[in-house]
Amino acid sequence: MPLDTSTTYPLTKLRLDGRRWNELRLIQAQISTNPASSGSSYLAMGNTTILCSVHGPAEGRRGDATGGSAGGSGAVVEVDVNIAGFASVDRKRRAGGSDRQSGRIASTLRSAFQSHLHTYLYPHSTISIHVSVLSADGSLLAAAVNACTLALVDAGIPMPGLLCGCTSGMSGSASTPRDPLNDFLDPLLDVSLPEEQELPFLTVATTTSIPTGADEDDDDMKVAMLTMDSKVHHTYIETMLAVGVDGCKQIREILDGVIKGSSRR
Amino acid sequence: MAAQRQASSASQTPHISPAELSYIYTSLSLPGAPIRPDGRSATQFRPLSAETDILPGTNGSARVGFADGTQAIVGVKAEVERTALGIEALTQAEQEEYAAETGGNSKSDGVKQGSSSGQGSWVQMAIEIPGFRDDDALPVFLAEMMREPLVESVAGGGEGGMVGGLKGRLVINRRWHWRLYIDVLLLSQPLSYPLPLLSLTTHLALLSTKLPKLKSKGEEDPFFDDDWDAAEYLYPRAKSTSTKPSSIPGSISVHKVRPPVTLLVVSVAENVIFDPSREEIAVADAVLAISVTHDTDSGRLKLLSIRTIDPPSRLTQPGVPNSENVATLGSTAAAEESVIINPSTGEEEVPGVWRPRRGGVKRATIAKMVKMVLEKGGVGEEVLEGLEGVEVG
Repeated sequence: MPLDTSTTYPLTKLRLDGRRWNELRLIQAQISTNPASSGSSYLAMGNTTILCSVHGPAEGRRGDATGGSAGGSGAVVEVDVNIAGFASVDRKRRAGGSDRQSGRIASTLRSAFQSHLHTYLYPHSTISIHVSVLSADGSLLAAAVNACTLALVDAGIPMPGLLCGCTSGMSGSASTPRDPLNDFLDPLLDVSLPEEQELPFLTVATTTSIPTGADEDDDDMKVAMLTMDSKVHHTYIETMLAVGVDGCKQIREILDGVIKGSSRR
Repeated sequence: MAAQRQASSASQTPHISPAELSYIYTSLSLPGAPIRPDGRSATQFRPLSAETDILPGTNGSARVGFADGTQAIVGVKAEVERTALGIEALTQAEQEEYAAETGGNSKSDGVKQGSSSGQGSWVQMAIEIPGFRDDDALPVFLAEMMREPLVESVAGGGEGGMVGGLKGRLVINRRWHWRLYIDVLLLSQPLSYPLPLLSLTTHLALLSTKLPKLKSKGEEDPFFDDDWDAAEYLYPRAKSTSTKPSSIPGSISVHKVRPPVTLLVVSVAENVIFDPSREEIAVADAVLAISVTHDTDSGRLKLLSIRTIDPPSRLTQPGVPNSENVATLGSTAAAEESVIINPSTGEEEVPGVWRPRRGGVKRATIAKMVKMVLEKGGVGEEVLEGLEGVEVG
């Protein structure tokens, strides 16, 4: 069902859900939602709702392929993503286990957090992350990154800084080189599902760098993860990235507030 | 690991030593008043928190969390589907033929007559348990165990009731029907056998399920009211609830028909224990899943199905009595009194020494379990009343 963002947006400068180009959707988050796990979180970005629980660091299972001896130098991060059958508008039928989308999200999350966390503190152990998507409305990967970060903070696993993800897109197909004189395309922050299906978008996750000195700038951020599945002319990448990184900054403040707010209780 | 999962359908056997098993068994089998590890009475359930209508993207949803941290979320989605007319007509004709041939009236004939009959396959259930694949034994077995009573419970007609039960409710007209997808999500590792949790959550989700109001009539292609506020509940409700708030306690007031509930019951020696924890299941003689529903005609509870579940106590290691233990041989310990329970094999029961439970369960015990669930003011009514207390919709 194409909703045709690219024809209405230039006229109104408002997106389908009434946001302007640089507005995030409403983010609601909670940590310690499930007492049965080491750490857990609930995160809603607009209509995308994600529950995440972390188990570990614990001794690896003996039965798995790595034989329990894996991670001699540090913990192994396991990610399991489950997109519920009722998450999208139409109920999805899956054949035997997992589909491609959840598999890709899982492997991206695994490699992102494997290098992000201070895993060397827990040799011979496993940190298993379970992500369940209750309702999917775009920016799944970005929301999953944020939910995982909150759950890992709740589990008390050391990391250099919060890993925050965000998406950004362009308001048109952006397949031709950018013309600086006649630039009619706007970057869009935090794309929703209809936008995601129609427009080029990328997912970026940033973290703060480890403070090395006293005079270090606090706002210095590092891109930790960057994925893009759609096609766009390379001249637009810089704009999209800048908007995405700025979105990550806003999300970091929100997540910070959630973590600080929950410890006060 | 996979082999172990397949072997024990009741739950992953917890790592409990024979001495601990024997201790739990002894305290649970105390005549009259079992002492449970968590201090509950025999019929007491664990405290739980529940909420419904949590997912706006579904037709109905619910979340239930037990105090031990296990949580489940159920989402119900409905889709309109074209009824395969030819096949149904054919099977019906075949059935009639079969009935004529055998000369008897087959039981299914009466149910499937007319256009108001539905098919059980219109309700699909999928259970997601972390660490298990969709096609592992446990999720498949659980799903079928909950789907069966749901589909097969045929409530009596009456005004406001559901003719033909849930299957009949899904029929739109001769050519179209609803297909119901029930997706169950267990959010944590199954600490105990998750059946009661999943069953209660599914019950609440189905109660909160709404279907759009049908605007077309008769055999027209279905056309629905796009006003979600006008949507009708899948399980119809009595309209006069707002005018008569003083309902008689104990009676099912708001809902004339309710989905069935499956309860997990275990027996330890002569005692019957409800809502068992993992340790209690590990020592149980018999584990039964009993499905009950509220019968509209008699106003009492009706038994829908009983399933036995393979008790994990069969797979535990036996304890070794001192008289046979090499380490304690010749020690001055007092000789234990042993009772020979099977003269042909010489198998004997030593008090305080764990022996895996083998063999079946007495008929009297099963009868006792069923009676405790069904009787007026019994456990079944208590559970349904408790669920009634959850604000739905």
